[in-house]
Amino acid sequence: MAAPMIMRLFFAGSFLSLISGVHVADVFNEELLIKPLDSGHVYAHFQFTTKWDIDIQTQQNFTHYGLFPKSLGEVLAKYSVHELHLSLTQGLWRHRIWGYPVVSAPPGAELWAWFKRDTTNIDKKWSDLVNALSGLFCASLNFMDKTATVSPKLSFRPLGAADQWIATNSTYLRYAAMPGEMVCTENLTPWKKLLPCDTKAGLSTFFKSGKLYDTSYHSLGVYYKSVCTDAECDTTGVELVQSLAVVYEPPVRQGGKQDWSFKSLFGRFLTNSCPVAEASHILVDITGNKTLAYHFHLSPPPDRVETATRGGDKRKFAIYDAKKRPPSGLNLAAKYNRNVIYKQPQPPQLHAHRFITGFGQENGGIVTMLFNTDPKENLTVIYMEMVPWFIKMYFHTLKVEIDGMQENPLHIHYVQAKDRQQPCLMEVILKLPANTTTKVSIDFDRTFLKWTEYPPDANHGFYVTSAVVSTVLSHAGQYTALPQHSDKLISLLSLNDDISSEFLLRIHTETLLVSLPTPDFSMPYNVICLACTVVAIGFGSVHNLTTRQFIEVDPTKNKGFLSNIKDKLKRKKKETDAKVHKEEKSDSIEEKKS
Amino acid sequence: MAAPILSTLFFGFVIRIYLFNTPIAKWCAGNNEITTPITSWKRVTEGLSLYNSGISPYAGDIFHETPLILKFFNYTVKKMPGLVDLIFVLTDILTAFVLERSVKFISQYMALQQHKRERQFAKDAEKIKISFDDLMWRRVYVVLAYLFNPYTIATCLAKSTAVFNNLAMAGTLLFSIKARPNRRVAMFCLAIAAYQSLYPVMLLAPAAICFVQNDLGFKFKWTSLIAIKSVARTCGWFALWMSGLLLWSFWIEKSWNFLYSTYGFVLTVPDLTPNVGLFWYFFTEMFEHFRLFFVCVFQINAFIYTVPLSIKLKDHPVFLMYILMSIIAVFKSYPSYGDTTLYIALLPVWYFTFEFQRNSFVIGCMYISTTVLAPILYYLWIYAGSANANFYFAVTLVYNTAQIFLITDILFAFLKREYHLIHGLKPKDYDGKPGVVQLE
Repeated sequence: MAAPMIMRLFFAGSFLSLISGVHVADVFNEELLIKPLDSGHVYAHFQFTTKWDIDIQTQQNFTHYGLFPKSLGEVLAKYSVHELHLSLTQGLWRHRIWGYPVVSAPPGAELWAWFKRDTTNIDKKWSDLVNALSGLFCASLNFMDKTATVSPKLSFRPLGAADQWIATNSTYLRYAAMPGEMVCTENLTPWKKLLPCDTKAGLSTFFKSGKLYDTSYHSLGVYYKSVCTDAECDTTGVELVQSLAVVYEPPVRQGGKQDWSFKSLFGRFLTNSCPVAEASHILVDITGNKTLAYHFHLSPPPDRVETATRGGDKRKFAIYDAKKRPPSGLNLAAKYNRNVIYKQPQPPQLHAHRFITGFGQENGGIVTMLFNTDPKENLTVIYMEMVPWFIKMYFHTLKVEIDGMQENPLHIHYVQAKDRQQPCLMEVILKLPANTTTKVSIDFDRTFLKWTEYPPDANHGFYVTSAVVSTVLSHAGQYTALPQHSDKLISLLSLNDDISSEFLLRIHTETLLVSLPTPDFSMPYNVICLACTVVAIGFGSVHNLTTRQFIEVDPTKNKGFLSNIKDKLKRKKKETDAKVHKEEKSDSIEEKKS
Repeated sequence: MAAPILSTLFFGFVIRIYLFNTPIAKWCAGNNEITTPITSWKRVTEGLSLYNSGISPYAGDIFHETPLILKFFNYTVKKMPGLVDLIFVLTDILTAFVLERSVKFISQYMALQQHKRERQFAKDAEKIKISFDDLMWRRVYVVLAYLFNPYTIATCLAKSTAVFNNLAMAGTLLFSIKARPNRRVAMFCLAIAAYQSLYPVMLLAPAAICFVQNDLGFKFKWTSLIAIKSVARTCGWFALWMSGLLLWSFWIEKSWNFLYSTYGFVLTVPDLTPNVGLFWYFFTEMFEHFRLFFVCVFQINAFIYTVPLSIKLKDHPVFLMYILMSIIAVFKSYPSYGDTTLYIALLPVWYFTFEFQRNSFVIGCMYISTTVLAPILYYLWIYAGSANANFYFAVTLVYNTAQIFLITDILFAFLKREYHLIHGLKPKDYDGKPGVVQLE
């Protein structure tokens, strides 16, 4: 019994070593960042990074897999994907009170992908890609067809290594979003299966959907890009980042204190780390805590505390190494000294608010307010709006007002919608002067669709995806995103020299729900019959008048069908009357005879 | 005669200029019965805006007017932005004037035709003969009916580009029937009308008959070489102008994309915005696999009437043109009140058929009630949410039924009068007994 087992293990082991002998270049990292927010919410961001030192251009590299998920790798290789950014989000990230997330994502699903240079027939590849991803993540990404896909010219650039030519050529880019997509456990399950340890070990053991989905905001992400492996960028590798962001409700239920622990957030302790992970770190942002026990104290105490300065913004992190944990398990907890005082949090430098104007179901307008709260610094932003074709945008009504004064935008890239073929894309470059509110407004008409084009709940309305605002900040207040050239959260700590650099920021606004006028769904047959009847009246009458001619007839002779029948009936009645009469007569005669 | 016409034109002008400065103009511009996706001024403005930003308006699905309209308004709006309203008012006044001239020539034409046929008429037909003076007097009515028809005023206030189409169609009528008809100009007008909205191409048949009659008099053989030559010349001129206009558009636009955005849009009916026509709700509720079939049926239906009517009315091209104009207004894919105005204005010309009409009162009531109800029910559906699409659809159905009744009634009356002219007012059957006239 034991011998075959050992044999099997031996074979398996040698096989493994064979493979790892070929690919020593996979590195996996797992990290968790916890940030208590000013509003009382607690933000937890998981990040799993798989780095693979292969050349993205060589198709054969995507045949032997180590830590990189094979199911995803095959799809990416088959459809010549150079870079892929997919997010599945439930809830809206509220920039004004939460600051900026590590990765911004709009409510619903968002996918943008760059295809490799020399890819032909990109539209077909895109369509195949969304269908494959749809199956892979159990999301209805397959509805990202040509009516929901655009190629923005200004807002998106490759985030990884890419040659200059492709980076400025938006024909290789496809962007689509599905604001109405509901994200839930059926998306989480396939997403966590891409992790090397699944949910068997490490930080991913925290993914119990019961807890994760009882939150204000929940966002899954899959980000794939090509990265440089040396300083000169002579050789490149690929990198897959899987992230999961959760924002927990403010702690009104816990006696008014912001206390949190692994047990309360995720429902369990951290007992181990993923064995294949190179490092396994937990970072807690303790910037607001002047001393280690000023507002709250962490238990157990952190392995180390580090300060990072970034663009003039000082951040303090408590760091735990999950690899060095005792087998009894880690229940990281924060204990607060006093209750949360709910105050208006300091809004970040740039935030936006978008809504619909107008009433009735004929026309309306989309208004976006862009706030630049910085007292000194002007901002140049790219505002991108993608609107489905059934909301007819009127370009001539586009208006930009800065604190009530009308201004001309610096540049506009506008692609018109085409009925049932392509959405409307508008990219506007705007200058937001310091400490101003900019209002971007545009009017639209609501389209009358065919009855088969409405969803089953037609009166629920139609979603319009978030507008995307991209900009480059010069200082990093409330900014948490990773720099473009680093891949791990822990690298946030080594950014002390990052003072002069620029911070690429992308924020997503609210989605919109637009109701369209509806026909009566219950009576297609009646409508077809009635309209055809009216046409038939016209056709019949003209046919009658043009194919016949007037003649005079004797009114007594030709009487038509009905009067003929009447006559016949009359005649019959007369006959029967006569008969009855006769019989009566004969009866009376017989009576007389008798 | 001149005084009442001139004063009507003047007051028509004044009332339009006055109303342009009231909120009514804005209300009209947003009204579905008055503007269509093709003629709406809002969409023309959008087209101009896109054109000036270097984006082709034909790449999207908002602008459906022709490149020449685009170019014309681009020039006008840039050079004299204050005069745009005035252009619409003056076009309306000019159309009224062209109609007045047309009626004058129609009167001469019909008087001449009656004179030529007089020998065939029955003895007691004297009562139903037209009088030239009466007909001439109708010019005032025509101008009045055009300029003071609420439909026309609303169309003008909405700055609907249908006013140009009406002018082109009126021009076709005038130059086909003039004392000395001008084939080139008539065909140019017709080409403009057909270029703008496609359906007026049907008017080629009556125009061709007019020119044959002008070349050969009232009696001729259709198979004769001269008749065929005349028809060919008419069609040739039309084709020449039409291709000229299309090539000019191509030269402006540098691509043929506009063909799909204009004629493709008219023929395939992709926009289902409610209007007074029969298409919108029918194709909203159509089953997907029958859509193509019914689009074909409805479009063929619009054009097919030309054939039987041209055969039946081959001696009466003016009346044929009139009937075809009204058929266009009913069966085109994106009709509006602007299309109705032309045939309602010309209604007084056919005063001699009125006594043979059967249900003018009912038709009148139908027109008035639907015109009043349409905006109310649209409001209830779209804004108040207390009615649904069926209410508005019912109104458009009744409106179209009214139009169809009017057309068939006047056609019936015309044909019946023709019969009585030949056979007398009290026709007798073969036995000499008084008979009843029937269609057989």
